[in-house]
Amino acid sequence: MEMKAAKVPTRRAFSDRLVEYGEIDPELIVFDADIGYSTYTHLFGDKYPERYFNMGIQELNAVDTAAGMAAEGRTVLMATYGVFLTMRAVEAIRSFVCYPNLNVKFLSSHGGITPAIDGVTHQATEDMAAMTTLPNMKVLAPADTESARRSVDTAMETPGPCFIRLMRDPLFDIYGPNEDFPMGGSKLIRSGKDITIATYGDMVFQALEAAEELAKSGIEAEVIDLYSVKPLDYAAVRSSVEKTGHLLVPEDHQKRNGVGYDLAAYFLREYPIAFDHMGLEDTFAESGNYYKLLDKYGLSAAHIVEKSRRLIKK
Amino acid sequence: MQSEYEKQEFDRRVEFLKAKAREVRYHIVDMVYTAKSGHIGGSMSAADIMTALYFDILNIDPTNPRWSERDRFILSKGHVCPVLYTCLALKGYFPMDTLKTLRQFGSILQGHPIRKTPGVDVSSGSLGHGFGQGIGIALEAKYMKKDYSVFVVLGNGEIQEGLVWEAAAAADKYKLDNLVAIVDDNRMQNDGFTDSIMPMDPIDKKFEAFNWEVLSIDGHDMHSVLASLEKAKAFKGKPVCIVANTIKGKGVGLMENQQRFHGKPPTEEEFEVALKEIRGEAE
Repeated sequence: MEMKAAKVPTRRAFSDRLVEYGEIDPELIVFDADIGYSTYTHLFGDKYPERYFNMGIQELNAVDTAAGMAAEGRTVLMATYGVFLTMRAVEAIRSFVCYPNLNVKFLSSHGGITPAIDGVTHQATEDMAAMTTLPNMKVLAPADTESARRSVDTAMETPGPCFIRLMRDPLFDIYGPNEDFPMGGSKLIRSGKDITIATYGDMVFQALEAAEELAKSGIEAEVIDLYSVKPLDYAAVRSSVEKTGHLLVPEDHQKRNGVGYDLAAYFLREYPIAFDHMGLEDTFAESGNYYKLLDKYGLSAAHIVEKSRRLIKK
Repeated sequence: MQSEYEKQEFDRRVEFLKAKAREVRYHIVDMVYTAKSGHIGGSMSAADIMTALYFDILNIDPTNPRWSERDRFILSKGHVCPVLYTCLALKGYFPMDTLKTLRQFGSILQGHPIRKTPGVDVSSGSLGHGFGQGIGIALEAKYMKKDYSVFVVLGNGEIQEGLVWEAAAAADKYKLDNLVAIVDDNRMQNDGFTDSIMPMDPIDKKFEAFNWEVLSIDGHDMHSVLASLEKAKAFKGKPVCIVANTIKGKGVGLMENQQRFHGKPPTEEEFEVALKEIRGEAE
């Protein structure tokens, strides 16, 4: 699969589609918490001022207010950064959105270490652990422009709460305009027979690069994009692993309680195989260039290559 | 100017509510004693306000709990749900017998209010969050140009939550004059007197500073309670906060201002004494 430099970050791609979706659903309301020019929800506000509520710097009350409107039957999209949403406002999300299973959708920008230069306070590296743990919550983590755009539709068409992890900076594009991204699905984006690399979001590109590198030494890696983190497409990963016998899950997240833990538990129970997992090793990252951070914290394509080789040799 | 007839009519409503409040208090004590668990003190302090709301002010239909034009009510200090459940049962949302199942396995009367209970608009109980959801419902009403009002009862301890002031600011921004917050200021909280734990006075000045209209009342004087709720509901231009000066455990002497009765049930002996006092049979 070809990787082309993306023109816009996924947060922008999502909000562009959100503006279009405002016509599809004329009842949709959007909330932001004073970062509308960063999440790009201001574009929705420019077009539909009466349907855009900037709640100021109060994420907790913004989620409760969204919950109150949703309790009356409305769909609300609430946008802010991942750390503020999944840490500061998590109780409102848990008890007043997920518990009553309301139609509040969350645009969560700055996922993982992608807001690299912003530093740790703005890097959502525990968001998937928090969100996937909540009953009724669905979690999407699109990698590129097209999948980010389509995640608007997928989130809106699926009843109940949905969390969408997006990124700060433009990375790459891999999908064309006619792909489907149904809830609970995944994408086989490179075929191989020796090892399965399953990941999501920005790490999809590191995995593809690693697969390219591995191919040079005759190792054929299969790469799966788990854009739907919850529900997760266990069946697709399993069918790949039944062929390759090895599974590596790199993720831009704490290793603990990430998607790797989820898949490890699944395969230990259902189909024991050679498994390894990569993520932040019980540590915070820091400010700096995104690629330098990937390198320092063991998440670059080179690290995936090395892990894959070791896993296959085991 | 109130006519003589209107005055008499108002007095009649007050007398009806006073008798009803006694009934409400009786059932609160009975249900918490039966469940051997539940928050009695704050239920009793809010009993007069809640009675006036449910038996006079709120435009609701127990046969159609989700009627779209109804007034909304949120008990943001959700732990005092015994008073809410009592009002709902007396209104006919569910049978009176159900009150005996408070907090029990399989009961619709959970330890803190949830949306699944007939008559309950949103879940609450984690302090501050009911208020935030109330902002959302009031905002929805404004957006949809609906006429209903949203009433939220908060505790004086609850307003220590920063979230409450986020919500207060949002209500000002959107000029939610369809929203009425009532602070049941019983001067106490779980661990003791609010003044010694985290003082919040002056509550009225704080809400005034957030551009709310504020009414300060004696929360056990039914005349003031009813008049202020009526005034607040009709008020236009800003959200209204009623600061109700109340007594924790009000109505049963041995419970009044007693920290023990924040979240503990009475003993058998205390229970008997309490019921007698509420019935007016105390010596």
